[in-house]
Amino acid sequence: MQSVGRFFDGESGQRLSVDLSVDTAADTLKLSHPELPMGSQYWPLVAIRALSDHARQDQLVLSLKADAALDSALIVTARLTVDDPDMVSILRRLCPDIGRVDVPKGTTGRIAKRAGLAVGALVLMIFVILPAMANTLARFIPVEREVAYGKAVVKQMERFMGGRGDQGLTCTGSKGRAALDAMIARLTDAADLQYDLNVNVFDHKMVNAFAAPGGQIVLMRGLIERAKTPDEVAGVLAHEIGHVEARDTTRNALRAAGSAGLLSLILGDFAGGSAVVVVAEYTLTASYTREAEAEADVFALEMLNAAGADATAFATFFDSLSELERLTPDLPEYLSTHPELVDRAAAARAFARDQGVTTPILDDAEWAALKKICT
Amino acid sequence: MSSQIQGRYFGTGKPLFGLYFKTAILTILTLGIYRFWAKTRIRKYIWSATSGDGDSFEYSGTGLEKFLGFLVAIVILAIYLGLFQLLLAFIGISIIPEDDSQAAIAAQAVAINLSILAVLPLMLFAQYRARRYKMARTRWRGIRFGMEKGAWGYAFRALGYIFLTIITLGLLNPLATFRLEKYMADRSWYGDARFEQMGRWQDLYAGMKHVFIGLGIIIAGVVFAIVTEGVGIAGVAAVIGYIWLLIGLIYYRVYAFNYLTRNKVLDERVMFDAHLETGAVIKIFVVGTIVIGLLMAVIFGIIAGIVASMSSAIMAGTASPALFVGLAIPYALAFLIAGGLSLVMITQPMIKYAVESMTVLNAVHLDTIHQRAADTGADAEGFADALDVGGAI
Repeated sequence: MQSVGRFFDGESGQRLSVDLSVDTAADTLKLSHPELPMGSQYWPLVAIRALSDHARQDQLVLSLKADAALDSALIVTARLTVDDPDMVSILRRLCPDIGRVDVPKGTTGRIAKRAGLAVGALVLMIFVILPAMANTLARFIPVEREVAYGKAVVKQMERFMGGRGDQGLTCTGSKGRAALDAMIARLTDAADLQYDLNVNVFDHKMVNAFAAPGGQIVLMRGLIERAKTPDEVAGVLAHEIGHVEARDTTRNALRAAGSAGLLSLILGDFAGGSAVVVVAEYTLTASYTREAEAEADVFALEMLNAAGADATAFATFFDSLSELERLTPDLPEYLSTHPELVDRAAAARAFARDQGVTTPILDDAEWAALKKICT
Repeated sequence: MSSQIQGRYFGTGKPLFGLYFKTAILTILTLGIYRFWAKTRIRKYIWSATSGDGDSFEYSGTGLEKFLGFLVAIVILAIYLGLFQLLLAFIGISIIPEDDSQAAIAAQAVAINLSILAVLPLMLFAQYRARRYKMARTRWRGIRFGMEKGAWGYAFRALGYIFLTIITLGLLNPLATFRLEKYMADRSWYGDARFEQMGRWQDLYAGMKHVFIGLGIIIAGVVFAIVTEGVGIAGVAAVIGYIWLLIGLIYYRVYAFNYLTRNKVLDERVMFDAHLETGAVIKIFVVGTIVIGLLMAVIFGIIAGIVASMSSAIMAGTASPALFVGLAIPYALAFLIAGGLSLVMITQPMIKYAVESMTVLNAVHLDTIHQRAADTGADAEGFADALDVGGAI
C-alpha cells in the first residue's frame, strides 16, 4: 500500500510530503523523503498513536508513543498527517494501540499526594484555623455591634421563614408574652448575664429554637406545642442562653463567612452542582461544634438548678425529640445539629438526681397562656 | 508554499454537541472531577478543526495536568480566601449599623467590593496564566506557541488600567485595551519567532464612536427631560441610547480585534489581516440566543406544567420520591442541552467566523521558523479553573 502524508519533524516549521508504505512483515510504517536523514524513517505500528478528539474524521494526525511525562509541554514528537482514505482505514486496522492514552508512571501516586494536600489544606482551614480565628476575633467585637448584627440576622431569618410586612412572624399574645417574661425572669434572676436577652416566639410549626448574636433568641411555636411542661421549654431556652453567653453564634457567623465559597471552589459549576454545594455548606456551617453543645447543656442544667426548676424536664424533652426523630427521620434542623440525644438525656437525669426541692417554672394558667401566645 | 494563508474551520455542530453532552454527563457522575478532561477534549476538538494551509492546529494539553494544577491552586486559594473572608466578616459585623439606612447600605457595599478587590488581582493573574497555558499547549506544524512569564506584571498593570478606565468614566478604555494586549502579544512566541504588537492606542478611538453616540443619546434625553419636564421622550431616548450603547460595545470589541490583529507582526516579517464585521457577529449571537431561548422555554414550560398539575400532591407531601427524581433528571438535562447548544450555536460559529475572516500574509517565512524550548512550569491554569476565569472554552 502506497500513499502520501504530510510530515513535520517537530524541530522546524517545514512541511515534507513523505511517501508512506506499510511493511506488514516488519509491522512498521515507512516514511520516505530525500530530505529526511538517511532518506527514510520507520515507525513501529504498535507505537503509533492518533491524536484524540480530532475534529476531521477523514484525517488522522499520528505521533509516536513518547517517553511520557506528566507535564505535557515536554512531550516532543514529530507529527504525520494522513488524508488518504485507504491509508487511514489501513492504519486504523493495523495499529493495535492507535487510540491508546499513555499514562506516565507514578501518576496515581502524584494524584494521591496532591489530592491529599488539597483536602488536607481545606480540612485544616475549615475545622482548625477558621474556628480558632473566629474564637479569637469574636472577643473583639463590641457588644452593641453584636446586638445590631443579631437583630439583622433574626430579621433575615423571619423573612426567610415566610414572615412578611410589619407584623412578621413574631407572636404578640399579651398573656403569653407575660408568661414568657415570667419564665425568663425566673431563669435569669440568679444569673449574671453579659447580654440583655431579647426572646421572641415565631408563629411557625417547626420544632426548633435558635440563638443569634447579642442575646437574640427565637422559639418556634412548634416547639412550645410539642413540650409537655413549661420546664421543657425553659430547658431549651436555658440551652440557647448558654449559646448566647458563650458567644457561640458570633463565632459561628465568622466561621461560616470564612468557609463560604471554599466548597464551590472544589466542585466547580456544573449542572446540579450548586445544589450539592448549598447542602454541603449548610451542614458544615449551620452546626455548633460538639463542645459548644455540651457546654450549653451544662450551662442550661445549672441555670435550671439555680432557678429551682426540675432538670428532669430537660431529659424528657430530649426523649420526646428522639421519638420525633424516629417518626420523621428527615426532620428537623434542631435535631440534626444536636446529636446524641439519648446521652444528653441521661446526663440531665443524672444531674436531676442530686437536685433538692424544685417547683414548676410556670403555674398552669401561665403555661396555658404561653401555649396560646400565637393566637 | 503559498505566501498567503486563509484560516479555515472544519468543525460541525453534531459531533461537538455529542462530545459536550457526553463529557458533561461524565462530569456530573464524577461530582465535577471530570470537568478538566471535558474542557481539554472540547479544546482538542476546536483546535483540530482549525486549520491553515491544510495543516490543523493541535491542542496538546491533558486533563490530568489540569487536574493536578487545580489541586495546587486549591491549597493556596483555600488559605487565602478563608482568612480574607473571615476578616472581612469581622469588619462587617463590627461596623454594620442596626437600621436599613443609607449608611448601612453604603457599609455593605464597601464590604462586598472589598471581597471583589481581594479576588480581582488573582483573577487577572489567572487570566494571563490561562492564556500562557493555552499558548504553550498549542501547536501548528509541530511547532509550539509559547508565552513568557509575566502574570503578576499583567495583574498589576491590568489593575492600574482598570482603575484609570473607571475614574475617566471609560474614556481611557482604548488605552487599557491596547496596552494590555500589547503586554501579552509582545511576550508571545511561535517557535523561536516573537510576536510584536504595533500600532497606537489612540487609533482605537475610532472604534468607540457608537459607544459615544449611545451615551450621547442617553444624556441628551435626560437633559431634554429636565428642561421640558417631559418624561416620555426621555424614556424613548433611554431605550434607543441603551441599545445603541450595547451594539456600540460589540462594535468596539470587533473593531479592536481587527485593528490589533492587523497590527501584529511575527518575526518582523509575517503579518496578519482580519476583517470581522459587527453585523455578522451580532447575527450569530442573536440567532443562537433566540433558538436556544425558545427551546428552553418549551422544555421548562413542560416541566413547570408537570409540577403545577401535581402541586397538590407535592404540597400534601404525598408525592413519591420517584416523581422528584423524575423531574430532577429532565431539569438537569435541560441545562446540559442549553450549554451544549450555546457551544455549537454561538461559540463555535463565532470561532468559525473569526478564523475564516483571518489571513496570514507573507507566510513563506513560516518555513524558516524553528521549534522553541518547552515552557515548563506553566501551572496548567489551576487558578483559572478554580476561579472560573477564561470564558467559553
